[in-house]
Amino acid sequence: MNKKELNLNKLKGLGDTILDDVEKNRVPSIKVPSRGTSNIVYDEDKRYYVLGDRYGKRSLGNVKQIKKMAQMMSMANFCKGLVETQKTATIREMYYVSEGWDVDFSDQQESNLISEDLEVTLRTTREDLGLMPEEDGAAVYGDLTVKDDDFEINALKSGKSGYSIPPTIDDVEFLDHKVDRVIAVETMGMFHRMVQEKAYKKFNCLIVGLKGQAARATRRFLKRTNEELGLPVYICNDGDPWGFHIAMVIISGSAKLAHVNHELATPNAKFLGVTASDIINYDLPTDKLKDIDVLRLKELYKDPRYHEDFWKVEIKKMLKIGKKAEQQSFSKYGLEYVVEKYLPEKLEAIEGN
Amino acid sequence: MEREASELFEEFKELTASEFFRRNKQMLGFSGKIRSLTMVFHELITNSLDAAEEAGIQPEIKIDLKRVSKDHYILKHKDNGPGIPENFITKVYCTMFAGSKFRNIQSRGQQGLGCSGCVLLSQMTTGQPAKVVSGYKNGDKLKGVGMTFKMDVKKNQGLILKKKDVEVDSTGVALELQFKDVSYSLSEQGAYEYIRRTVIGNPHARIIFRDPTGHQYIFERATDEIPPLPKEVLPHPRGVTADDLIFMAKHTDKRRFRSLLGSSLSRMSNKRLNEIEEATGIDLNKRPKDMKWEEAEQIVNLFKEMDFMAPPTSGLIPIGKEQIEKGMKEILNPEFVATTTRKPKTYRGGVAFIIEAGIAYGGDSGRLVGDQKRAEIMRFANRVPLTFDQGSCAITDALKSIDWKRYGIKDLENTPVTVFVNIVSTNVPYLSTGKQSVAPEPEILHEVRQATMKIARSLQKYIKAKKAAKEEAMRSKVFESYVPVVLKEAALISGRNVPEYDEVLAKVTRREKFSKFTSEVQNE
Repeated sequence: MNKKELNLNKLKGLGDTILDDVEKNRVPSIKVPSRGTSNIVYDEDKRYYVLGDRYGKRSLGNVKQIKKMAQMMSMANFCKGLVETQKTATIREMYYVSEGWDVDFSDQQESNLISEDLEVTLRTTREDLGLMPEEDGAAVYGDLTVKDDDFEINALKSGKSGYSIPPTIDDVEFLDHKVDRVIAVETMGMFHRMVQEKAYKKFNCLIVGLKGQAARATRRFLKRTNEELGLPVYICNDGDPWGFHIAMVIISGSAKLAHVNHELATPNAKFLGVTASDIINYDLPTDKLKDIDVLRLKELYKDPRYHEDFWKVEIKKMLKIGKKAEQQSFSKYGLEYVVEKYLPEKLEAIEGN
Repeated sequence: MEREASELFEEFKELTASEFFRRNKQMLGFSGKIRSLTMVFHELITNSLDAAEEAGIQPEIKIDLKRVSKDHYILKHKDNGPGIPENFITKVYCTMFAGSKFRNIQSRGQQGLGCSGCVLLSQMTTGQPAKVVSGYKNGDKLKGVGMTFKMDVKKNQGLILKKKDVEVDSTGVALELQFKDVSYSLSEQGAYEYIRRTVIGNPHARIIFRDPTGHQYIFERATDEIPPLPKEVLPHPRGVTADDLIFMAKHTDKRRFRSLLGSSLSRMSNKRLNEIEEATGIDLNKRPKDMKWEEAEQIVNLFKEMDFMAPPTSGLIPIGKEQIEKGMKEILNPEFVATTTRKPKTYRGGVAFIIEAGIAYGGDSGRLVGDQKRAEIMRFANRVPLTFDQGSCAITDALKSIDWKRYGIKDLENTPVTVFVNIVSTNVPYLSTGKQSVAPEPEILHEVRQATMKIARSLQKYIKAKKAAKEEAMRSKVFESYVPVVLKEAALISGRNVPEYDEVLAKVTRREKFSKFTSEVQNE
């Protein structure tokens, strides 16, 4: 059974449960796995967050739930159309389409929550149901050839900004590559620096510009390069709690999307820097930690995803020096420094072991 | 330079009551343009109601207010009372402190200033005479007399200018007065509002009012029952002063102290009289006119320490909760009304009073301020609306001290309710001569609170039930609109037909009533 049929079957099953109950004069209800914080648990073996066993019931007989049920069924029917015709719609487009339905949403946020309800109930991703996020994924530069629709694209020959990861990354086929690793960086500034300094050649790698918090499609892309192509994935971000966490969401998934983390998390990915130790060792220009940075670092310290000694040490060290540094701060030693000196040393340290 | 006493006393004059009030018209309530006109309406309407009730007639009053120019009005006031015999007309309208109400009796007016005060104001502001047509029964015959007269202020009596016999078809008095420096207003203190409230407090009265624009308002009577006449009751010992006792002693035909006290005061048994004699050592067999001030004082002080039964309450005639309800329904056309009449209580130990209260919700209840409905407080004393000095009144104080939130009213000010409170007493404790606010006697405050809280509870029940019914209807609507959507969409997803769902729909709408939350609600 292919993915399309599988998802159509899941949708049909949802409709059938309700119709079957009504035909037997029973009040139908849908089991929706709970996404409340108490039902999100860190799976030590899988090394990412997963949903627990708790679920809520959406009953046709509950005045507070029936509207959500109507919204969910309308959305499911809309998705059925998308899957059947192999089209996609952004979640924003769907929000506007919903204005023509018999039940509407009060805002985009409400519609987004229902779409997450639907993917968790059907145990699929919203991308598989034809629903796409608004924003594009990250940029990729390097010798990777993909088949996107009917076009073959080489990410080394797609201009200085590289190949943009589409929301439909799952439909993109990896044809060929000549690289040994993947290096993802937080900012596009760093991305362009690495392209200019020909880092892709020096390290024989794909350069991925994350543009801040990685989109679902970007995380999916990184997971596929790691698991399908067997490439090690490294992440290089700003040396502050926010940079740490962008890396951690790629590695261990987010709590909010625990129900799809098995599709998104790349537990083998490694954090390259900038670490607190780097700040000291390379004597980087720094900013003082703000109150909110300190608060966030303390939160991360308690987060089970940061249980490894490496993180414990780095977080403590950053709190101790009370300083943070951006990726670009290496420019203090010249623009080339990061590619010429820093990255080689860090890669050697990690890969040498 | 020294002046002799005789010289000084050349300027010493005796003021008649009329002369005194001419100089002090604010003491009659005539202060301010709006208030002056309202007070005129008050005096005339009150007199007409009292007269009709005493004669056993259902009161009907026709008032016509014409505007001549700015602040200049002609007022025609006609009632269907028993009328005034010819030789009493100028006494009623021109002599201050003449009247039949100087007794310990529950009545609307008390000072006997009312009608003559209006004539005085008219004369002072316009110089015009008053015109009266009176129809009255003389033996079996109906007699009518028309009179034009002025008030001789110096002599405190009337000065007849014209007089003639006229044909009348019923008893009653028609009075025409002119006023300047007064102003007709639709505000809460204005004449229109005064009439509206009068009809609520007097549901047996019918009032037809033509306002200066020519618009005619007809306030129909809500009941045909004429209230029984209040009876005069003897004063309670706790309510008298030494001066009262001396006054009684002077004017009595009794021969002894003992019989004077026994017959002039209520609750005065032989046992009590013996106690007085024993405690004071005063010989109660003395003649009343031998009573000394010190003795009177001694007796009054003793009264305060003695145990007396509460004063008789037979003299108090409340409007009655049914009648208040009728009045409020007739005028306010409300969604809901609750009324109550409390049992008689006393204040200052010896003055009996009754508190009545009503609350109306929705309809025309409340006061429209801008485009917002505000709460309206209607205060009455012996059925007479009190429209001024709201802020200093015990009734207002008591209402404000109630925790309205407990009765489902979040914000009294902005709720469309009318609260009605009437205090019935032979002696309403007013705060000032204008008689527009009640003194904050603790017993009165307590009774107003109790009465109002009782009816507020009924209102709360009504509001709750209404809200529940609305929620119930909303709930059914939710199911009726969403159940079909869920099933239609499910059918489309599954490629099946929409099944028969009447029974399921009936089940969920009904089930909802009994158990609101049948399944676990998960937070997102």
